[in-house]
Amino acid sequence: MTDYREPSYADVNRDVLRIMLETGSQYWTVLGISISIALVCFFGPWMYQLYVGVGAAGMNRSAMWGSYLSNFIFWIGLSHSGTLLSAVLHITQSDWRKAIYRSAEAMTLFSLMTAACFVMVHVGRVWFVHWSAPIPNEMGLWPNFRSPLMFDVMAITTYLTASSIFIYMGSVPDYAAVRDASTGLRRRLYTIFSFGWRGTAKEWHTLGWAYMFFAVFVIPLAVSVHSIVSWDFALSLVPGFHQTIFAPYFVCGAIYSGTAGIITVMYLLRRCLNLQRYIGEIHLDNLGKLLLTLSLIWIYINIIELFTGWYSGTSFEHEAVKFKLFGYYAPLYWEMILFCAVVPMLIFWNKIRLSWNKMFVISILINIGMFTERFIIVATAQPRKFLPDAFGFYFPSLVEFSITIGSFAIFATLFLIFIKWTPCISIYEVKETLKPLRRAA
Amino acid sequence: MAKDIIALFQYEDDFIAAAKALKESGFDNINLMSPIPIHDAQKLLGLKKSAVRYFSFFGAIIGGLCGFAMATASALVFILPTGGRAIISIPPFLIITYEMTILMGVLSTLLGFHIVSGLPAWSDAVYRVESNIDRFSLAVSFDEDDEPAQAEKIVRDFGAEQVTEWEPSL
Repeated sequence: MTDYREPSYADVNRDVLRIMLETGSQYWTVLGISISIALVCFFGPWMYQLYVGVGAAGMNRSAMWGSYLSNFIFWIGLSHSGTLLSAVLHITQSDWRKAIYRSAEAMTLFSLMTAACFVMVHVGRVWFVHWSAPIPNEMGLWPNFRSPLMFDVMAITTYLTASSIFIYMGSVPDYAAVRDASTGLRRRLYTIFSFGWRGTAKEWHTLGWAYMFFAVFVIPLAVSVHSIVSWDFALSLVPGFHQTIFAPYFVCGAIYSGTAGIITVMYLLRRCLNLQRYIGEIHLDNLGKLLLTLSLIWIYINIIELFTGWYSGTSFEHEAVKFKLFGYYAPLYWEMILFCAVVPMLIFWNKIRLSWNKMFVISILINIGMFTERFIIVATAQPRKFLPDAFGFYFPSLVEFSITIGSFAIFATLFLIFIKWTPCISIYEVKETLKPLRRAA
Repeated sequence: MAKDIIALFQYEDDFIAAAKALKESGFDNINLMSPIPIHDAQKLLGLKKSAVRYFSFFGAIIGGLCGFAMATASALVFILPTGGRAIISIPPFLIITYEMTILMGVLSTLLGFHIVSGLPAWSDAVYRVESNIDRFSLAVSFDEDDEPAQAEKIVRDFGAEQVTEWEPSL
């Protein structure tokens, strides 16, 4: 039976470390399935594509970008809530953040890694990817820093580095707890990971300052990353892409899908790892309210996007809006509206907002909708630019479908490895939220 | 010279009071270890604004300068005239500057953390595992003219559960 009483300090250590130190057969089965799907659905088709060329994907002359790019935006978007939310809530000293932020930050990190995989798949000749680094290469080329694609390289590299450091530094005291609770090779490894942490006043003081600065750096960084991803599109002249609203649209969409992703991950962690004592109603309630607010902003921006297209007065923009609303992919557009604008309104009801099962379903639906949104952006605008006789059509190939499914397995694999590698709940920060160990108390 | 002692406390307020009393009695080499950050402990040891902030600030400035220099140097080494645009284009280069400011700011904050905190420190320093679970530990190192017995009495008077001498394992 689940114990819902407030845990003691020792309980927190025991409950969180148990997840890392005790591994059942179920875990290995799920990990095995996840790795297998990643190998068969992602890496297999990718190798095939490397062998036959990018023609294995459904992209063509008028549709140079396809599902790889929409997957890339989706995963970058999903990465947004973890680190950003954690940093904002840290600075605003919101205590409810403390039980959930570690896993949310891990989500950021692994979503970014999955997104990076799509860059590798999309570029085709991946062995030339180092050409985007500012180093002299064999052709004497240097990167063109005026290109939004180079902004992307810089932004995502910075975000990946900053997110990794942010999650690692927050974990150092907990790595010391793992060190103290383990023996043998694991103890030696965690002695290195924890840097010899002892929890002295000076160590806490320095970590507190450094962590605050990391948070301050990460917030504008996260906002810049998805703005820059949006400029990959908005800085072109393609009707449907060329809009100033794109940066806030992408950032809002990213935080929206990321928050929904956090609810999905928290539901699974809570249920599969018996963390009901730590991840409770307050987290669901606050995340639900955040999701609702974001959905309203998202609806507003979508209306503005359509309005801008209509108000532009150009036939190209009118055509782009018309195709989006009533063209071949219109069913997907209306599915997106249903899942991202209509369904989230249910969160207004307390009964739904405070139910883990219902919120889990809503969070999945929102992310299906957000995935569709990214697909529609890529698939409806680029193949239909200015001249109707040059209009093309894009539909993903089987290779792309497979790689998309495989990417979810890559994310799941990384997350499963993470929960055995790092305490998925911050031990010391959860202790800070408990009744203080004072004689006076 | 006498060996270090380490005292374990169950309560945070006893632990802080004992540390305060030790300080007042002239024991300056004390170390306070706890499972969570305690602001009173930091205040007691005179820890105010951390020097990490200098690393963050100057790291970010240097990063910004390097970012702009990198974009400019790349543009000058491989001149790519496009549509009459300036070779050194300020608006796009500011984006690179912005990203590099943050990247170097984060990396230098990390460096600052290590330098200021003195970590990594894998030497066999005074430590009790309990202080990373649910106890507060107070370690005292002694100078030539200190009286270990007096320190031990103070911590016991303030409710220390255990007082042990620290012997580093070989």
